[in-house]
Amino acid sequence: MLRPVAISCLVAALALPALPRTRPHYGGVLHVEVAGDPMQSPGGLARGLIFDGLASLAADGSLHPALALNWESGDNFHRWEFQLRPGVRFQDGTPLTADAVVRSLNASCTSDCPWSSAAAVGSSVVFTGDSPIPNLPVLLAGDRFLISLTVDANGQIPTTPTGTGPFQLTSNTNGVLTLTANVTCWQGRPFVDSLQILANRSIRDQWLDLSVGRADVVQVPPEMIREARLQQFTVVASPPVDLLTLQIASAGPLSSASLRASIAQAVDRAPLLNVIFQKQGAVSASLLPQSLTGYAFLFPSSRDLAKAQALRGGVTPPPLQLSYTGGAAMQLVAQRLSLNLREDGFNVQVVPASSAPTAALALRTLPLLPAEPSAALETLLRADGQPIPVSDDRLAGLYQAEREFLDLHTLVPLLDLPRAWAVSGRVRDLTLRTDGSPDLADASLEDSSRDAPENAPGNAPQSVPGNAP
Amino acid sequence: MRAIKLRHLLALGIFGLLAIAAGAAPDAWQRPAADLASQVANLLGPGQAQLTVVNLSSIPTGQIPAIRNLLAQELQARGVVPAGPSSASTVRVTLSQSAHERLWVAEIIEGDQTQVAMVDAGPIIEPQTAPAAGIVLHTQPILTASTPILAALETPAGIVALEPEQVVVYGQIPNGWRIDQRVAIGQTRPLPRDPRGILWPSADGEGFEAWLAGAACTGSYANALASGQWTISCRQSDDPWLIAREIPQPQRPPLNQLPALPSPVQVTPAMPSSPQAAPTPAPVPPAQPVATLRAFYNASRDYFTGLVVPSPAVELPPFYSAAFVPRPSGGDALLIGGIDGKVQVLENGALSPVDGARDWGSDFAVFGSGCGPGAQIVASGSGQALSDSLRAYNLPDLEAVPASAPLPVNGTVMALWTASDSKSLIAVVRNAPDQYEVDRVTASCN
Repeated sequence: MLRPVAISCLVAALALPALPRTRPHYGGVLHVEVAGDPMQSPGGLARGLIFDGLASLAADGSLHPALALNWESGDNFHRWEFQLRPGVRFQDGTPLTADAVVRSLNASCTSDCPWSSAAAVGSSVVFTGDSPIPNLPVLLAGDRFLISLTVDANGQIPTTPTGTGPFQLTSNTNGVLTLTANVTCWQGRPFVDSLQILANRSIRDQWLDLSVGRADVVQVPPEMIREARLQQFTVVASPPVDLLTLQIASAGPLSSASLRASIAQAVDRAPLLNVIFQKQGAVSASLLPQSLTGYAFLFPSSRDLAKAQALRGGVTPPPLQLSYTGGAAMQLVAQRLSLNLREDGFNVQVVPASSAPTAALALRTLPLLPAEPSAALETLLRADGQPIPVSDDRLAGLYQAEREFLDLHTLVPLLDLPRAWAVSGRVRDLTLRTDGSPDLADASLEDSSRDAPENAPGNAPQSVPGNAP
Repeated sequence: MRAIKLRHLLALGIFGLLAIAAGAAPDAWQRPAADLASQVANLLGPGQAQLTVVNLSSIPTGQIPAIRNLLAQELQARGVVPAGPSSASTVRVTLSQSAHERLWVAEIIEGDQTQVAMVDAGPIIEPQTAPAAGIVLHTQPILTASTPILAALETPAGIVALEPEQVVVYGQIPNGWRIDQRVAIGQTRPLPRDPRGILWPSADGEGFEAWLAGAACTGSYANALASGQWTISCRQSDDPWLIAREIPQPQRPPLNQLPALPSPVQVTPAMPSSPQAAPTPAPVPPAQPVATLRAFYNASRDYFTGLVVPSPAVELPPFYSAAFVPRPSGGDALLIGGIDGKVQVLENGALSPVDGARDWGSDFAVFGSGCGPGAQIVASGSGQALSDSLRAYNLPDLEAVPASAPLPVNGTVMALWTASDSKSLIAVVRNAPDQYEVDRVTASCN
C-alpha cells in the first residue's frame, strides 16, 4: 500500500492545473469528427466516453479512483485487491459487480496480461501475479482495460457496447455514432445532452465542417497544428503524448546488434521535427521525456553518420523494407529515414504496413503517459509488446533499465509528438485527457439553446414558475 | 618563487571575491552536492578529475558558481581533486530537472567509458509574488476531504459540510477535525456533473439550512451537548433556495430597504441564541433581522432561473450567483452573475451592467473586510485565465474596482460564499479530481 500512497502523495504534490472556471451550461448536441474509428480499441475516442476503468489518470498524470474506490497491494506487489465503488450501474441498469469486472477484464486481456489471475471476492477484484505488478493501478487506468458489460442481468450478451461512462451509445448508422448523456452516471451526468461523432472523415473535410459550423470538435494532426492556427482555428494541443519510434526486428537481416546500432546512429531527427512536423513536439532519443525524468539529455539525439558507418563495419545488408501506418506525414517520415539509412549504406524501401506486416523496419507510435515514471515506462514497453514489469522507482534504476533496453537497438525513439483538436467558438471548457483525446464529458456548449430541446429525456427543467409562492 | 606565491595569493583572492559575489550556495544544495560527490567518489576512486557543471534547470545562473564550489569541496573531501582539462578523468555534472523535481546527474568519463550517477535535488519551488497594496487576501485551509464538498458552514458545534448525497458534521479534535456524524440526504434524482449546494446558519443561530438539487435539509445542534448528535433532517424539495442575505453593517440602520425590491422585503426574524446549547464557547453573533432572497433552481441546468422571492420589479435573467452589496449611499443592491457571464446590479428598480467584472468567474461573495468603508466583493477567476485566483473588489458605483492583488488558489474555486461572521468568506477549492479543500478567506489591510 505504501507505493500507491507514495505515488498519490507525489502526484498530489505536483503542480495541478488550477483552472478557473465559469460555470458550464447544460444541454446541446456536440458534433465531433474524427479520421478513424471512434470505437477502435485501443484509443478510439468513443471508448473513453462509454466505458470507465477501475482507476483513472488525470491530465496531470495523477492516479484517481474510478470504478474502484481504493486498492492495496500485498505480497510484494504480487497481489492487489481493488474495492469496487458501490452503487454503480451499467448504462442498461445492470449493477456493476466484481464478477462483471472480472468477466470484462478476461474478455479484454487474453494474452500478455499484467496479472496471472483475476478473481471476484465479494465486492472486490483480486489480482495475483507470478511476477510483481507494481504499476497495476496505472495499467488498469489504460484504454485496454476499460470495463464493459459482457453479460446483462438476463444472461444475454448486450447488443450494443455498454459501460458505466458518461455517455451511452444509442445509434451507429452511416458512420455517425450518437452518444447520449448517461443521466445516472456515477460521476454525474455530462453537460451536453448528446454527442454525434462522425467517423472516418478526412482532415480537410473535418476542417471544412468546422469552418461552416457543422462540427464543433475536429482533429488536428501534429504536422498541421501550425496550419490550423494560421487558419484562425482555436486549437487545443496536448503536451507530447505519442512517442514516434523506429522499430527494428532483431531477427532476420538485422539480427546483428551492430547493424541495428548503426541504424540508430544514422537517423536524423531534427529535419523530421522541423520540416515534417513544423516544430510541433520535440526530438527524442529516450523512451521517457525530459519533463518526466530529468535524465533524457543523457541519450544524445544528434546524428553521427561516421559512427554509424563504423558500426556497420563494411557489411552490406540485403534490401530492407520500412513500413508505416497513418497519413502522409508518416510516409514522409519513412521516406526521409530511408534517405538517412541510404547514406549509411542501407538499401531501404518504404511500404505501407498493410502490404508488409513483417518488415524489418517499422514506424510506430507508442503512448507517453504523464504518470509516475516507472508506470509510464512499463506502459510504453507493454504497448511495444514487451510485457516487462518495471519495479524500480528510483530514477537511477529507471535510467539503467531504459539504457539497457535501448542498447538492444530494437527500438529507436525519434520524436515526442502532441495531439491537437480544433474547436468551435461555442465549445467551453474542453480539456484533453492524458492520451490527448478530448474530455467531452466535461465540455459544454456556450449556446446550447440552438439544439437543446428543453424537454429532452432527463433534462426537463425542474423549477416551475407557477410554484412561486 | 615570490612571483609564484603572489600569483597564487592573487588567484585565491579573486576566487574568494567571485565566491562572495556569487553568494553562498543555499542550504538546499548541500545535501544533493554531498550525495552526488559521494557517488562520484565511489565510482571514480581517489585522484584528479576535471569538473564541469552544466545548468539545464531553472536554478538562477548566479547560483551556479556557488554550486560548483560546493561540488568541488565535497569531491575534494572524498579524495577527488578537481583539476584542469589535462586530467584523464572528467566529471560532467548536469543540473537537470523534470517538470516537478530537480535531478543532478554526474557523467564520469574515463577514456571511452562513461558511468552515470544521479541524485534527486528536491522539488521545484516557484517563487512567490509580492502582494500589491490595498487589501491583502489570505486563505487558511480548514478542512480537506476526498469527496466533493458543495458547501461548508462553521458553527460553534463544528463544521457542517454539504456533500452531494450526505450532510457531514465534523467535530474539532486537537489535531484537526474528525467526522462526528453523517446523514444521508436520500437523493432520488440523478445528480448533475457540477452539483451545487448552499448552507446558511439557521435563523435561530443554532443550526443550519441547506439546499441542493431536489432536496433541502435543516440541522440543529441545540441538543448536541447532551446527546452528542445533531438533529438533521432532509426532504425532497423544489422550494426556492435561500441564496443571499444582507451583510450586517454596524454603522448603518439595522434593516435596510432593498430599493429594487417591492415591499414587503422578506425578513427572517432572529431568535435569541441559547448560549448553553453551544458545546464550545465560541460566541454566536447577535442576531439581527436581515433581508434575504430566495431563488428557484434549475437542477438539470445547474443555474437559478431568474425567478426570485421576493419578486423584484424587473425580470431577472438566469444566473449562477447573487449577493447583496451594501451601497455607500445606504441600502443594498443585488449583484447577480448571469449565465451569459455578465455581472449586473439591481438597484433602484433597474438592472445595470457592472464594468470591470470581465475577469470574474461564476462565483463571488460579499464580506466586510474592515479595510475601508462598506463591504467588498471577492470573485473567483474567469475561465479565460490560466489559473484560478480570488480577488477583492470595491463597487463604489457601477464599476468593480480591484481592491487587492489576485490571490492564487491551488486548484479551482468550486464555491464561494460569505461566512457566518460576515467578515470572512468560505471557499471550496478542488485541488485534484478527488481532493477538496474548504478554506477560510480573510483580509488584512495594507
